[in-house]
Amino acid sequence: MISSLGKFVIDYLKWVKGIIVLLMDILYWIFLGPFRGKTAHRESVFSQMVFVGVRSVIIVFFVDIFTGIVIAMQTAYQFEKMGASIYVAALVAIALCRELSPVLTALVVAGRTGSAIAAELGTMKVSEQIEALDTMAINPVRFLAVPRFLALLFMLPCLTILGDISGIIGGFIVGTGSLHINPELYMQTTFKYLKLKDIYTGLTKSFVFAAIIALIGCYEGLNTRGGAEGVGKATTRSVVISFILIILADCILTAFFYFSKV
Amino acid sequence: MSDEIKKEPIISLRNVTKSFQGKKIIDNVNLDIHPGETFVIMGCSGSGKSTLLRLMTGALKPEEGSVLIKGKDIAKIPDEELDVVKKGFGMTFQYSALLDSLTVEENVALPLKEHTKLAPEIVDIIIKMKLSLVGLRGYESHYPSQISGGMKKRVGLARAIALDPDIVFYDEPTSGLDPVVGGVIDHLIKDLSVKLAITSVVVTHDMQSVFAIGDRIAMVHKGKIVEVGTPDEMRNSENPYIQQFINGKPQGPIDLFKEDIGIIEALGLK
Repeated sequence: MISSLGKFVIDYLKWVKGIIVLLMDILYWIFLGPFRGKTAHRESVFSQMVFVGVRSVIIVFFVDIFTGIVIAMQTAYQFEKMGASIYVAALVAIALCRELSPVLTALVVAGRTGSAIAAELGTMKVSEQIEALDTMAINPVRFLAVPRFLALLFMLPCLTILGDISGIIGGFIVGTGSLHINPELYMQTTFKYLKLKDIYTGLTKSFVFAAIIALIGCYEGLNTRGGAEGVGKATTRSVVISFILIILADCILTAFFYFSKV
Repeated sequence: MSDEIKKEPIISLRNVTKSFQGKKIIDNVNLDIHPGETFVIMGCSGSGKSTLLRLMTGALKPEEGSVLIKGKDIAKIPDEELDVVKKGFGMTFQYSALLDSLTVEENVALPLKEHTKLAPEIVDIIIKMKLSLVGLRGYESHYPSQISGGMKKRVGLARAIALDPDIVFYDEPTSGLDPVVGGVIDHLIKDLSVKLAITSVVVTHDMQSVFAIGDRIAMVHKGKIVEVGTPDEMRNSENPYIQQFINGKPQGPIDLFKEDIGIIEALGLK
């Protein structure tokens, strides 16, 4: 019992160390690599940006527009009783920008892209492709992890902004269609209560979530062991761990923004 | 070969030991490989021959002893220097290990684009040359999933020689191929080592291949070198391990089941 607990703790600490080493490695190749004349390829960063960002547009749009619609209806249910339906506009915008859009977009991308990264790198690992890169003196972290990390860091905030807008559109549909709020008044109320800090705290969160998704996906992929089963496990682990860490990081960041009155 | 053997060895293993999870996989191995020769390492599955190859490529580091490539101990030099050594050799893998997301052409071009500043036109010419050497002109824009196993191995070989290395390591170059394609690969290995003056280190358990290409052969069993010799010396060796292995006899000193417990013990009946 104690020995298995000890093994669990040791394995966990090894995992944390592995993640930190990978992060340091990635940062080294991003910031110091160019001075050694070795950097990630622009083409592979762009192709990853297309995969991570452009290909996720539709799913992010639908997830956030429906969330906007649902939030609008649920709050209208309460606000109508007080005759305060107009505040639906402010609530939807603030809830989406500060909280729901960054988190939901990150969860969608973790499920879609984080798992794909883990599966792709995992397959490369078990079919000796990573070892082949290493033998050719091509650093796998620079060649594979850095483009994915940069692509996510750049595209997830963009997707979050798209999510903010689609959520507000969702609220707008309910507000003007079913609550009969004047469209112009709806938008005025939205922008009256929505502050710039609501947007940038949301975007700060999405930067952190992007780093989490990329790190976990790459780490689990590059450390895959044991054939097809190993790839399956790595994929599942990447999604489960990313989800937990995203929610945990969200909790910590929200507390930080709340208590520091940002 | 006899004159070349007198030269300084290009690869040299000194008292190399490597273990995994407390079990010695490579046990105090000493080995010299000379420039220009085709050196074959043979042995059963699990004998440690692939581990031996990975110690030579720097993918694994020995616990004890040293691995010298052109006089440099690759287990002790910093990563930057190891990269320089790595650029001087190529390697082919058992399952080819081509990058799935790149075409044949891009796979062969990868080391050139990463390590040289050659103009794209020159890279193009080199790729065409290397692909002609392995007989694969016309397949430039195919993806690895669109070509056969034997072709993949040949693309892997073209990639391994892209940077004109002095040494090429082959991990099971003919496994999983039909005898004719296997013969083609053997011929190619021999041909390249003669034409390009490459030192080849081949790990295999394909006996046809061992005697077709080997200038010298080492037999590995349980992490130790049983014997090293020319093909004729190996054929005429009186060592029972070598005779059993060459002739593929189930009975003999190499007993794969000896360490296994019997079914009676496994079921707990005794």
